[in-house]
Amino acid sequence: MTVPVRIAQLSCGPEYSGVQQEINEAAKAVNGEIFFPDIALKDIIRDFEAFGLDVRSPDLKLAIARAKALAEGRIDADAVFIATCFRCAEAAIVRNELRRYIHNNSKLPVVSYSFTERTTAGTLLTRMEALTTIARRRALLARETQQGITLGVDSGSSTTKAIVMKDNRIVGTGWQPTTEVLKSAQDVIGHALTEAGIRRDEIEAVGTTGYGRFLVGKEIRADLIQEELTVNSKGAVYLADRQHGPATVIDIGGMDNKAITVQDGIPGTFTMGGICAGASGRFLEMTAKRLGVDITELGPLAMKGFANHVPMNSYCIVFGTQSLVNALAAGSSREDVAAAACHSVAEQVFEQQLQEVDIKEPVLMVGGTSLIEGLVHAMGELLQTRIMVPKYSQYIGAVGSALLASGFIRDD
Amino acid sequence: MAKVFIYPATSLILSDLVARYGHTPLSSATAIRERIQTAGIESVPLQITPEEPKKGLRWAAVEVPSGVRGRMALYGPMIDSCDAAIVIKDSDLAFGCMGCARTNELVKYLVREKKVPRLDLNYPKSEEEGTRFVAAIKRFLEGLGGGK
Amino acid sequence: MTGYAPKYPGTVTKYIVVESPTLTPSELAIHAYEISQGVMIKETCFGLAINGSEDVVDDLIRKLRAFDPDHIFVKDRGFVPGDPRRCRSSLGGARPGFHGIEFETTVLPYVSHGLTELRSRDAGSIPAPQDTLETKKLDVYTLKKLIEALEP
Repeated sequence: MTVPVRIAQLSCGPEYSGVQQEINEAAKAVNGEIFFPDIALKDIIRDFEAFGLDVRSPDLKLAIARAKALAEGRIDADAVFIATCFRCAEAAIVRNELRRYIHNNSKLPVVSYSFTERTTAGTLLTRMEALTTIARRRALLARETQQGITLGVDSGSSTTKAIVMKDNRIVGTGWQPTTEVLKSAQDVIGHALTEAGIRRDEIEAVGTTGYGRFLVGKEIRADLIQEELTVNSKGAVYLADRQHGPATVIDIGGMDNKAITVQDGIPGTFTMGGICAGASGRFLEMTAKRLGVDITELGPLAMKGFANHVPMNSYCIVFGTQSLVNALAAGSSREDVAAAACHSVAEQVFEQQLQEVDIKEPVLMVGGTSLIEGLVHAMGELLQTRIMVPKYSQYIGAVGSALLASGFIRDD
Repeated sequence: MAKVFIYPATSLILSDLVARYGHTPLSSATAIRERIQTAGIESVPLQITPEEPKKGLRWAAVEVPSGVRGRMALYGPMIDSCDAAIVIKDSDLAFGCMGCARTNELVKYLVREKKVPRLDLNYPKSEEEGTRFVAAIKRFLEGLGGGK
Repeated sequence: MTGYAPKYPGTVTKYIVVESPTLTPSELAIHAYEISQGVMIKETCFGLAINGSEDVVDDLIRKLRAFDPDHIFVKDRGFVPGDPRRCRSSLGGARPGFHGIEFETTVLPYVSHGLTELRSRDAGSIPAPQDTLETKKLDVYTLKKLIEALEP
């Protein structure tokens, strides 16, 4: 067993929400260890005043002082986990400012989360895994080129993807909706190998990611089983050829969304949202169905419409769809409705997730939804920037896995 | 013996003086002890389970953060049952159970609304203030009657 | 979900904090060991944490207080002494409540002074505390005088 990754917790409220146990368990599951930076009262008073954010809650003052002790290197840690109550305005301000402060003043990976009493270890697991991976596997994440012949599989909640890479080039792809997790994986692997003209036994290393990563990884004996936050950011900067300097990766998935700020290919801060279907690719799928078009046609359709012609009363997948149906009944064009759906998803991700990371250009959109150009356009308008969608962006997790897996090729 | 709610509920000074002058202090520690000594589902460190924020709904609505409601599950019953209260107004450095300013605001308001005898004061900052502080608390507690 | 069974049901734990010029926490601990019966005692940097049945703990506290009544302070604690859920050695840092006590120990000398004073003075004869946090605004007449004094 390797030494646990020491995760410093800066928080207000988890013990009183009944979720501290969940935080501890999530950390333990990825061989992390939560600890509370030890400081004295005089440090709290001095550092809170020096930081200058004059909040009232004593536990937030304590969190601020502990953050300063970490950033100034007075206390050693491998990673930082910031957690405060959902719906607390005071804590949200502190959470964001501390995340930014630690990101700018230390090399510590940091993740912030706002919990409710319903937060479980399962919800926190991917975040904790990403946090410990960044802390533990900096060397692996520093890889910039793919070598040998590798296979990457992304077993996502909506679709399963496979990529075969050879000598830093993509030579085979496979894509299909996820039905049975293992069967879908085997099918896309078969497709990718056929397209590449490569036999399974020629593959030198295998990586898996996505929701089904553990199941698929075990079945195909993967060398690397890795959560999608680090894998996707790595894949994104690789495909976009932005491996150096800052970048922001946005991945609106079928079940959850990720927003990751990346520095030199390594994630710094990230958020992962997964509560509302109205902010996911699912909403766009439903809209496409309602409009009687294939999901691949929704993007071009949206580009011809105007989102503000359709009143959207809700971001909700149920009531939002109702608004779209009402608009169609009232005579709105299909183009406008498609544009409104794209705008709705983009705006919700913008309001609820992108506020939690510092957007740094270039902004890269990846994942299946990045092919819906209406969505990319809407996001670009909200962020007031031109968004890059790299080639093979829908295969992002599989590419990242194949790239990172080449670090496991043995020289024998 | 009167049950005296103390604020900050974690205060060593108030807890000591209330007991010293013959009454029962209602403090965070006794509420936590109740949970630590009751069998149930494990929830480290305080044995406050996700059920507690739901119990807190009696004192704070569902849109109030879970940490406030969980804390109110500790303080609500104590405020309901107290006969008197002593409140230190300038207690900005009480952490943990008293670590949330929003909970603290609600606790102070509910104590006020309870309309039981209440003594509001500040921490003493000199020996002279210390004498006045102790004397005021002694007078207040003796005035409640029934001290042990 | 794991079941939880309490380890010391029916007991109480109390902190005894010593802020005395004549008695150290370790001296108080020695006294406590001498007179204690069936209680768990742990020395801390502030004083002692003791656990046992309520009547035994209260009796011990009454005897210990007698050593220096104006400088020994007592409060309840939820956890038994050394419980790993609250212990600094397992959490990495002090539990938040520790800093609250840390703060109040800076105030204890004033409280001790008050307790000593009240041995010889009647509480009724001592004026109520002033609200030192309320600062009075300067009245307009004084302000006018100040302005006039500054004008050449």
